[in-house]
Amino acid sequence: MNGGVERSGRWLLRGVDLVVEPATLTSVVGPNGAGKSTLLKLLSGAWRLTEGRALLGGVDLARMPRRQAARQVAYVPQSVRPTFEFTVREFVTLGRYPHESRLFGTRSADRGWIDHCLDDSDVRSLADRRVTTLSGGELQRVLMARCLATEAEILLLDEPTSNLDLAHGLDLLGLARRLVDEGRSVVLVLHDLNGAARFADRVAVLDAGALVAEGPPTDVLTPELLLRVFHVRAVPLVGAASPVFDFEPLR
Amino acid sequence: MKVALRMRRVRFWWYMAGGAVLLAGFAAVGLYRGSVALEPADVAAVLATRLLPGDYGAADPRVETIVWSLRAPRVVVAAMVGGCLALAGAQMQGLFRNPLASPGIVGTSTGAAVGAVFALTFGLAGAFALVAPLFAVGGALLSLLIVTRIATRDGYTPVTTLLLAGVALNALLAAVNSWLIARSWEQYEAARQIAFWMMGGVADRGWLHVGMLAPGMVAGCLVAAWFARDLDLLLEGEEVAASLGVDVARAKRAVLWSAAILTGSAVAVSGVVGFVGLVVPHLVRLLLGPAHRRLLPAAFLTGAWFVVGADLLARTLAAPRELFLGVVTAFVGAPFFLYLLVRHEKEVAVSR
Repeated sequence: MNGGVERSGRWLLRGVDLVVEPATLTSVVGPNGAGKSTLLKLLSGAWRLTEGRALLGGVDLARMPRRQAARQVAYVPQSVRPTFEFTVREFVTLGRYPHESRLFGTRSADRGWIDHCLDDSDVRSLADRRVTTLSGGELQRVLMARCLATEAEILLLDEPTSNLDLAHGLDLLGLARRLVDEGRSVVLVLHDLNGAARFADRVAVLDAGALVAEGPPTDVLTPELLLRVFHVRAVPLVGAASPVFDFEPLR
Repeated sequence: MKVALRMRRVRFWWYMAGGAVLLAGFAAVGLYRGSVALEPADVAAVLATRLLPGDYGAADPRVETIVWSLRAPRVVVAAMVGGCLALAGAQMQGLFRNPLASPGIVGTSTGAAVGAVFALTFGLAGAFALVAPLFAVGGALLSLLIVTRIATRDGYTPVTTLLLAGVALNALLAAVNSWLIARSWEQYEAARQIAFWMMGGVADRGWLHVGMLAPGMVAGCLVAAWFARDLDLLLEGEEVAASLGVDVARAKRAVLWSAAILTGSAVAVSGVVGFVGLVVPHLVRLLLGPAHRRLLPAAFLTGAWFVVGADLLARTLAAPRELFLGVVTAFVGAPFFLYLLVRHEKEVAVSR
């Protein structure tokens, strides 16, 4: 993707040039309002670029039929409370939309695949619950299952761990890692810089609507950059395999 | 494992079967009851002669006229109007992601009535039978577009904004209607028709009206069926729907048109029958869940028997005089609407 987007007279992102490589886990980090969620919406094709283009396998995303794009790129938004009472299974089945036929809906093969996705994100036991009754963490895992249901090669996850406890958060990052090792690409927005450093192959740093750095975590996440972008003093902890920091406020 | 889902699916078929029985029952009583007392056997004979091959002892031509030319089309129109309004309501609630949206509440029905009244007062309606429905559809579409424009910000329609926009639009359209009526006061027949439209009813509807309503109903239902699944995804928000493969702009346009066509066609023959589009989809969603592949057909059927039943009450409660159908549905619907509003306020209070 190369370009930017303007909404209501304000550039949310501008001049962002980013390539999502196959079988890589890219973590997008940046302070609040940097444009991280906007970046995912552009990559998913839900939003159109105001200038520049987003290409998917060499084809302009804006010109591609939505269903075709949705079979290749899946997007999980920051969790929003659902207001309509789908069961978890019905909710996850929404992810089959790009594969469904308009006349016949879902087929039994689809149903088997849904079971598989429910297992993968550990929500099989919730299948008959209504989504309106789920806790934040449960909902996040259900969203993940719906994302898997699309069978997309590229997964875009917006703060997938923000509602999860430590164990489920690590589980989810582990699942993302496993999907990447199986050949898919995952782009996720994370606030936890140490988590990003540990699980991601590449880190993209956004600040005020611009991409300020992109590359392997060890190259990108330096105390100088963190001071400039996040306004924190980062003290590297020695002896770790990936860069791990202890953070101190400037004041 | 799949209990709840299978239950919803099984329950759907039971629900549809029950609805069909209710509809048939209400329709039978509707043919039988009225200002002139008839024998059930005579009614059955007339129906059998008309609908089945062969002759079943044709009754007295007077009975034939009452059953086939007066009561039967009235029942059919009532069922069609109920189905259209309930289906349009279900679509609008999905489109606005807002359980309080419905043709009556947000002014779509009144817009349709203004369209029809306009055609009537300017003497256009006489040209051919479909002129009034066409103008009504135009009015419905216009008012729906206005409300969408006013109340929707970034694909999100807050309940209060939608309701207030509906109140304002309803008031404005009622004023337009009054003005149109005042202009045409000398034309007695037109004025009477207009008054009828504002109250809503299916009295004196004939087979011509069935013909006026049918094209819009069929077209609206087909579009509704084609885009039913898209509505499921739109419930999750436009960005999610788009990311999962929905052509959001196209789906929203189609649903908007479908709801306007259904509302306009219904209002053109029955006037403003309130609350059907609000109450019916709600009850169905409560029983069958929000998936539109089940919700839409079930809402259509429920609307059909609901309005046939309500018309039965309208004819018999104050017999030998008739109540307006819109009055009866308001008796049922308005308290229900208030209940929903109170519950919604509570939910908002809790989530704060």
